[in-house]
Amino acid sequence: MRTNEFDVIIIGGGIIGTATGYYLSKRRKRVLLLEKKYLGSGSTGRCIGGIRAQFSTETTIKVAMKSVDLFRSMENEFGFSVDWHPSGYLFLAYSEEKKQSFLDIIQLQNNLGLDVRFLTAQDIKSKFNYINTDGVLGGTFCPTDGQADPFYVLKGYMKGINNAGNVIKTHSEVVGIDNHVSDLFEVTTKSGEKFYAPQVLNSAGPNSKSVGEFAGINLPVEPERHESLITEGIEFREIPMIVDYRPDGCYFIQRKTGQIIGCYTPEKRVPGNDVGSTFEFLTEMPRRLIRLIPSLESLAILRQWAGSYTVTPDGNPIVDKTEIPGYYVSTAMCGHGFMLGPALGKLMADYMIDDEWPYDMSEFAYNRNFQKAAEALG
Amino acid sequence: MKEDTIICRCEDLTYKDVLDAINMGMTTVSEVKKMIRAGMGPCQGRTCGRLIAQIIAKETGKPLSEIWDTTHRPPLKTTPLGILAGGDCENK
Repeated sequence: MRTNEFDVIIIGGGIIGTATGYYLSKRRKRVLLLEKKYLGSGSTGRCIGGIRAQFSTETTIKVAMKSVDLFRSMENEFGFSVDWHPSGYLFLAYSEEKKQSFLDIIQLQNNLGLDVRFLTAQDIKSKFNYINTDGVLGGTFCPTDGQADPFYVLKGYMKGINNAGNVIKTHSEVVGIDNHVSDLFEVTTKSGEKFYAPQVLNSAGPNSKSVGEFAGINLPVEPERHESLITEGIEFREIPMIVDYRPDGCYFIQRKTGQIIGCYTPEKRVPGNDVGSTFEFLTEMPRRLIRLIPSLESLAILRQWAGSYTVTPDGNPIVDKTEIPGYYVSTAMCGHGFMLGPALGKLMADYMIDDEWPYDMSEFAYNRNFQKAAEALG
Repeated sequence: MKEDTIICRCEDLTYKDVLDAINMGMTTVSEVKKMIRAGMGPCQGRTCGRLIAQIIAKETGKPLSEIWDTTHRPPLKTTPLGILAGGDCENK
């Protein structure tokens, strides 16, 4: 094998690309990972590190439960802590309709073995006495949901890939993919280097559409901006990820470092690659946050930033092979890349080698009907 | 500088921690920041940012212009949530 020839070339060094590269490396594949900037410079390094299995559809719940297992064992696997902590996720219902949809989803979640409980407003008040429950009709809580530090997780995968003797090339933007060079893909970077492999994985997140187009693959995906902020640290009280689904709601969690980190989904979506910050978010997010926990009023904000959710019309990722033999995609995580990444990395690595899924993955299929109902807990 | 000299006091990181990140292949301030969380504490890199840039320059031989790639994030100064909450906003 030539030095520029690999078993798999992965394009995109976020959680998806590194996790897949890690599991391919464990199965002794020769892997090259190409990243335009540096590992985590796209969406992964901008995410707030929440991890949950509380979803509303079977495949996503199964994948997410597998991911939680993997996060839990990372400290052992990597030999250092990734700041995993099961703080739980608390979803709040402010309308009868939302409450009913939570109750319906709990059935499915429990059937799949996920410990999700319905809490009344009274239960919430006694369990989390700092939460202002005005208007809350109840909520769901999953104690095995949690958080980890995205940078530490990336570091673990990076070391695993390197230790297997595989190659990560950062600052190496892919500018072309030619699938007509014998049985191999020819992947060209901006600096003119060429690499060859029979399999290619597009895990380029916000850039996955253009990476698809290089090979004639059309992905119905689009990045949109989501803003975040983080505060100074306070004593760790295990404040769970509190998810307020009201149109002017928000979600935030206390990191293991004591800091509060949070976001909201803008009512009017902001499509495009812009990851600039707005003053509107800087004033609106604190209002929404201290409406839920008034005692945080005097806590100081350290910084705000933004990142991209890469979304599909139905709110589910695309994790599959394509019409071009050997060209795989694992992208458009719709804001859930970090939490689903470890499991999807393992699933995709096995799929690229064994050509079969351990369970039905049609929810994430490349050629599915994208106009179906969206994920209810998106 | 000694190995145990503190470079980023907010995140308790030493000169050796920065060297280790560089040895792992990090060649810009952003990369070092994301590998070891340097500059992510209350001072927001005001103290350690330039030190780290200089260490990278010394170790890699790259010009500072290629190393200094961080974005300064608002707010300029740590500000309590209660003061910002519901503040007037022209682009609302």
